[in-house]
Amino acid sequence: MRVRVNLTQCQGHARCEDICPEVFSTDAIEGKAVIKVELVPAALVQKVQLAVRNCPEGALRLIKDKESQ
Amino acid sequence: MMSDTFMPSPPTHVPPELIVDFDFFQVPDGLSDPAEIWHQLVREGAPKIFYTPRNGGHWVFLDYLDIVEGYRDFQLFSTYQTPIPPIEPFPTMQPQGVDPPQHEVFRMLLAPMFTPVAIRQRTAEIERRSRRNIDSFADTGACDFIDDYATKLPTGMFLHLMGLPEERLPEFLDLSNVFFRSNDNQARAQNLEQIYRVLDVMFEDKKAQPRDDLATKILQARGHDGALLPYQQKLDCAFLLFVAGLDTVTNTMAYIWRYLATTPNARAAMRERLHDPDALMRAVEELFRINAVSNLYRRVTRDTAFKSVVMKRNDRVVLPNTVANRNPAVFMDPDVIDLDRQVNRHVTFGVGPHRCLGSHLAKREVLVSLQCWFERIPEFRLSDEGHRVHAFGGPVMGFRNLPLIWD
Repeated sequence: MRVRVNLTQCQGHARCEDICPEVFSTDAIEGKAVIKVELVPAALVQKVQLAVRNCPEGALRLIKDKESQ
Repeated sequence: MMSDTFMPSPPTHVPPELIVDFDFFQVPDGLSDPAEIWHQLVREGAPKIFYTPRNGGHWVFLDYLDIVEGYRDFQLFSTYQTPIPPIEPFPTMQPQGVDPPQHEVFRMLLAPMFTPVAIRQRTAEIERRSRRNIDSFADTGACDFIDDYATKLPTGMFLHLMGLPEERLPEFLDLSNVFFRSNDNQARAQNLEQIYRVLDVMFEDKKAQPRDDLATKILQARGHDGALLPYQQKLDCAFLLFVAGLDTVTNTMAYIWRYLATTPNARAAMRERLHDPDALMRAVEELFRINAVSNLYRRVTRDTAFKSVVMKRNDRVVLPNTVANRNPAVFMDPDVIDLDRQVNRHVTFGVGPHRCLGSHLAKREVLVSLQCWFERIPEFRLSDEGHRVHAFGGPVMGFRNLPLIWD
C-alpha cells in the first residue's frame, strides 16, 4: 500500500502527523503534510487508514500498489 | 428562537418556507449551553438552509456538507466584508478577510510561525505560563476558571508572541469583550477605532525598537516584489491576530473545564491519559469537536442558486461549526463525548484556504493546560454559584463565569 497527499487540498491541519507520525510529518513553511514513508509497512496500514479517514480536507489517499503504477 | 421584538421583513428573494425567526445572539435565561439554541433548530426540523431576518438578515447552513462547501468555495462565499449585523466600513482582516490569491501574501508570512514545528517550540513557554497561573490559586482551593486562567493564558500568549508587556492583559481583554459580545453598532464602531489605535501604537514602538517578535515580523514584511507591504494591511493583520487568538481559546477552555468539573468519569479518563500523548490528543480533538464555539461568517459574491436556494450578492451566511460537528451522517453517536473517538473529521477550525492558522497553538494551549491542571488539581467541581450561568451567543459562544472549587 502507498499513501499519497494532494497538496492543493491539504490545508495543514496536521491530523495525519498526530495520528501516525511514523509515516507523516509537516513542513516548516506552510505546515502541510509530508509523507516520510510512501510505501506503508503492513504494521502501520491501520494507522494510516485512520489518518486518511480523519483528514478534514480529504487530501490523503491510500492506494494498492497495482493502482499506483 | 421566537422573540416578541420587531422583526424586519425579509428580502423578496427568500421564499416563506425558508424563513426562520432565529437570533443567534440571544440565549434564553437559564440555558447553560448557548450552543443548544443551534441544536434545538436541528431537532425542530429547521430547513438545512434557511434565512433569518434577525441581525440584518442572513442565511444559515445546517448540513455538514453545505458548511464544508461554504468554507471551501471561496469564489462564491467570500470572507471579505462579512460582519453581522452589517457594519460598514469593516476592517479587511489580513489574511482572513481577503480571498485567494491575495490571501496568500499574509498567509504565507504568518504560516511559518504557526506550523506544528513552530508551535512545538513554544510548548515550554506555554507550560511555564500555565503552571504560573495555576500556582497562583491552587492552594486557595478555588478560582474563577475564566477570569483566573482561561483568559490569561491565550491572551498572555498573544502578548508574548507580539512582544507586548504582560501588564496590558486587562486592556486587551476589555477590547476583545466588546468586539465579540456587542451587537450595538455605535459601541462596535468605537471599539474598532480603539483596537486600531492600540495596534498603531504597538507598531510605532516596534519601528523605534525592532525585536524578534511577531509584530516586528509583520511590520518588516515585504511582498514578492521586495517592496514593503502597505501599512494599513499590516494593521489589518495585527487586528486579525488580536481577534482570532483571544476569545476563541478562552471559551473553548471554559466549556471543557465545565464539562470536566461536572463529569467525574471524564476527570478520571483525563488523568489516565495525561502521559499518553496519542490518547491525550484524541481526547483533545473530541473536546474541540463537541465544544466548537465559533460560528463563522461568509458573504455571497454573486446572485446565485446554491443547492436550488436563490441567494443574492452580498447576502450573509453563518456557518455553525457546532452543528456540523454533530451530524449523524459523519459522526458515530454524535452527541456522545467519546474521548477515544477514532474517526473525528470535525470542522472546529474550518476547512479550505482559511483553515484556522492558529489551530496548532490553540490545541497545544488546551493540551498543556490539561496536563498542568491535572498534575496540580486532580479533582475539582463547580461551586454552588457555578450552576447560575450567564451564557452568551454570537460569533463566539460561551459563558461569563466558571467558579471552581477543590479540596
